[in-house]
Amino acid sequence: MKIKKIPVFIFVFSVILLVLHVLPARVGPTYAIVNCKIFPVSGPAVENGVIIIRDGLIDSIGTQEKVSIPEDAEVINAEGLFAYPGLIDAHSSFFIELPREEPGQRGVSERGAQPEEKNWAAEVNRTAFELLKPKKTTVDSLHRVGITTVLVAPERGIFAGQSVLLNVNGEEAEPMVLKNPVALHINFTTERGAYPSSLMGTMALLKQSFLNAAHYSSHRTLFLSSSRGMKRPEYDPFLEALSPFALNKKPIFFNCANLEDVKRASRLIREFKLNGFLSGANEAWRVVDLVKTMRIPLLVSLNFKPPATSVYVNQGEEKKKKAEEEIYPANAANLHKQGIQFALTSLGLRNSSDILKNVQKAIKAGLPPEEALKAMTVIPAQLLGVADFLGTLESGKVANVILTSGEIFNEKTKVQRVFVDGLSFEVKEPPKKAQPTTLDLTGKWRAMISGPMGEMEVPILEIQQEGNSISGTISSEMGQWEISDGIISGNELSFSISATIMDETIELAFSGTAEKDSFEGEISFEGGSARLTATRIPDRKD
Amino acid sequence: MKRKLICLFVSLCLASLSGFSSAQDLLIKNGTILTVTKGTVSNGDVLVVGGIIKKIGRDIKAPSGIKVIDAAGKYVMPGVIDSHTHIALTGTNETANAITPEVVMRDVLNAEELSIYTALSGGVTMVHTMHGSGNPIGGENIVIKMKWGKTSEEMIVPQAYRTLKFALGENPKRANSPITGTPRFPQSRMGVNSIIRREFLKAKNYMEQWDRYLKAKKSKKAAKNLVPPRKDLQMEQLADMMRGKMLARCHTYRADETLEFIKLSKEFGFKIAAFEHISEAFKIAQELAEEGIGISIFLDNWAYKVEASEGIAYNAAFCTQQGVLVSINSDSGERIRRLFNDAAKSMKYGGLSEEEALKLVTINPAIQLGVEKITGSLEVGKHGDIAIFNEHPLSAYTLCEMTIIEGEIYFDRAQYLKEREEMEKKKKEPVKKKKGGKR
Repeated sequence: MKIKKIPVFIFVFSVILLVLHVLPARVGPTYAIVNCKIFPVSGPAVENGVIIIRDGLIDSIGTQEKVSIPEDAEVINAEGLFAYPGLIDAHSSFFIELPREEPGQRGVSERGAQPEEKNWAAEVNRTAFELLKPKKTTVDSLHRVGITTVLVAPERGIFAGQSVLLNVNGEEAEPMVLKNPVALHINFTTERGAYPSSLMGTMALLKQSFLNAAHYSSHRTLFLSSSRGMKRPEYDPFLEALSPFALNKKPIFFNCANLEDVKRASRLIREFKLNGFLSGANEAWRVVDLVKTMRIPLLVSLNFKPPATSVYVNQGEEKKKKAEEEIYPANAANLHKQGIQFALTSLGLRNSSDILKNVQKAIKAGLPPEEALKAMTVIPAQLLGVADFLGTLESGKVANVILTSGEIFNEKTKVQRVFVDGLSFEVKEPPKKAQPTTLDLTGKWRAMISGPMGEMEVPILEIQQEGNSISGTISSEMGQWEISDGIISGNELSFSISATIMDETIELAFSGTAEKDSFEGEISFEGGSARLTATRIPDRKD
Repeated sequence: MKRKLICLFVSLCLASLSGFSSAQDLLIKNGTILTVTKGTVSNGDVLVVGGIIKKIGRDIKAPSGIKVIDAAGKYVMPGVIDSHTHIALTGTNETANAITPEVVMRDVLNAEELSIYTALSGGVTMVHTMHGSGNPIGGENIVIKMKWGKTSEEMIVPQAYRTLKFALGENPKRANSPITGTPRFPQSRMGVNSIIRREFLKAKNYMEQWDRYLKAKKSKKAAKNLVPPRKDLQMEQLADMMRGKMLARCHTYRADETLEFIKLSKEFGFKIAAFEHISEAFKIAQELAEEGIGISIFLDNWAYKVEASEGIAYNAAFCTQQGVLVSINSDSGERIRRLFNDAAKSMKYGGLSEEEALKLVTINPAIQLGVEKITGSLEVGKHGDIAIFNEHPLSAYTLCEMTIIEGEIYFDRAQYLKEREEMEKKKKEPVKKKKGGKR
């Protein structure tokens, strides 16, 4: 058997070419989804429906009789499946990797009474987009719960920074972006190593900042119109950054951890005439009248943990649990009963798998399922200003479509296939719980990869195994790459490789089977796959 | 002003919309009524209608359908008022800076704190909940009623004075910012005095800036591009002090620096409502009486730090006898439930009369907070803020049985004990397993 060996460099380079070739186009083939029951949200359900997806958009949608299937379309028989608009999570922190928190600055506060001031400009100017690190595992986990659009916001700090709206269409940041930046995010929290160290200080800071922005802006406007005999306003990067939000109605999301936060935010929004949104707000039902009269857009979190200020938290574990199980899930239902519209978000949930579970809990607590669906499709689309092209299944809108095995918020329903921007994604089952294994793969390995571009040898693949988890490194002339998310379950082995080459990061995923001294399987990447076989390099015995 | 109006409007909205439950009507029958300001009525009744005391006397006929509380053998007194505490707040001190008049307790009220209920169990109906003593100039305090279960807006007492916390002596000078871990100015008593003075000078300057601007704006030759000064919340608060819109509540122990602070208040023309803790008040009782400045103190604990070393148990009684307006405070979410015990001690230490002793925790703090017209004693026209005790409230064996605010019962010991007993019983019951049913 002839083996044409090529250097690693060329192999990887050709993978990049392949990947890059696939990416910029970002247009899937034309699809015709037939025989499904369509829930367009914009109107009544359609039996025996057809959805034609072309160029990333919903080309046409309707009953079998009305929509003809183009010749070039790949026909997907969705018999027994339900089609919904992709769900929108209007406030999350998926895909963000925050730099490790720096310890509080131990600045000497000189002789003055003020400690060092925080760089507020940098805080306001922090963008979620810059912090994005899209990961395949996250993409998969969102698709599993039918989410195709997420608002991603930085989490920490009083001025947390600005959010970005993403269409979850792959693992690269730029093509995902729908809108950037979307909003400034404000937390009722405190700062470490700087003023304010207390919530009351935070409120004072916010008020003063909005006042300052107004003053700064009017001073500058005056100066620009008639500067004679007038002191020039000093340039202030913080107020420059804040002004569009403080004065020009760019949206501000206030994270409201409890009912008092809702009131605090409402007071600020009213006093400074802000384009404010209340987010989190899992005690919103307790201030329902305020929410109703203030008509502030409301983004209700699916996190049902009672806040630390809650009376339930202070009365023992039992009451706290009961509140989490019975009282807080009814927030959305209570708001709905009062005729208040809201979007449902994942804010505060760590696992995307909890999103649908908690929607089900909200439904059990009295939220009508069709309202829950609106709260995750058309309402967030409206609130985020993207309802023109997202949120419902209508022709001409972006082809964010999910196919499910049943009614979306049923416990047993599974999301089967997801289209985002017209690109088709298989929905993968989450990694199973690892089975015990007798194998120990720790050691050095030599691997051979054969794919459409030829074959290549990976000279050294070093693996460490701890219980069921696998980690390690791959060494080649191109550098060292890390093996992550590895799991050995019985004899099933899977891991992913993050290969950085020429400043491009390629995610490779391996899955296969292992024996004592060998493993083999498929290694897949965006746009292709290859076969990998590895054998153990025996320990030298001196 | 506009901001205030908006705040007021918002709070009115909040209050009116969050189901402001109508204050109840009730008639308390056959108790010993300790009105505090108008003597004692034995076998007396108190009629509360719409939250307001309508009648006090004997044999008041019960209007039809009214709730009647039998107080035979019991003592009925005005709700206890705590002139200095820190309950129902999310955070007490803004420690990052030494000067923080811009922070307001109004912003961080927490209506769900359990110490509100603790307070009710000791007959407390109203408290002055304050910024801590870490800063020479702290934040704006707030007066609230202990309406457990109501919203924070409904608890606020709009008739009360606006007050700003000041602190002298050890606390502000040793409040080395726990955040930076480095020493913070000021580090000495002279530093504390000077930094307060410096801030008032700044505020004076700020007010002049505004005056100049407003004057220039009014003049006919006003430049079109006249820029108003920047609105500064710190300075606005101190300006309000000098405008007489807000009063000082100053934490202090020693006589000398207290007198210095009085001088400071005269220099800048602000008013002091009361000195807090001031264990050396007896040394300057005459000065305090002359200036009309009250004190809010502990009855009989002192020497817990150097500046408190010269305290005496006779402080409250002696100062009262010298004409100083004295109140007894708790400074704590626990001590708050036995302020009547503290008041009683003033009879032993210094020989105050029963009425004088009761005043220390009722009408006196009410005067200090500017709410004596609505509460602090049982008088017709005042709010129905009432505490009922099983024995005389100044007895060592007394227990508060019921606490009523604006005619509404917020604490009922018998009811509470019953509920607790039932809960205990429930806990002990074996959990019945449902057959075949899955949860």
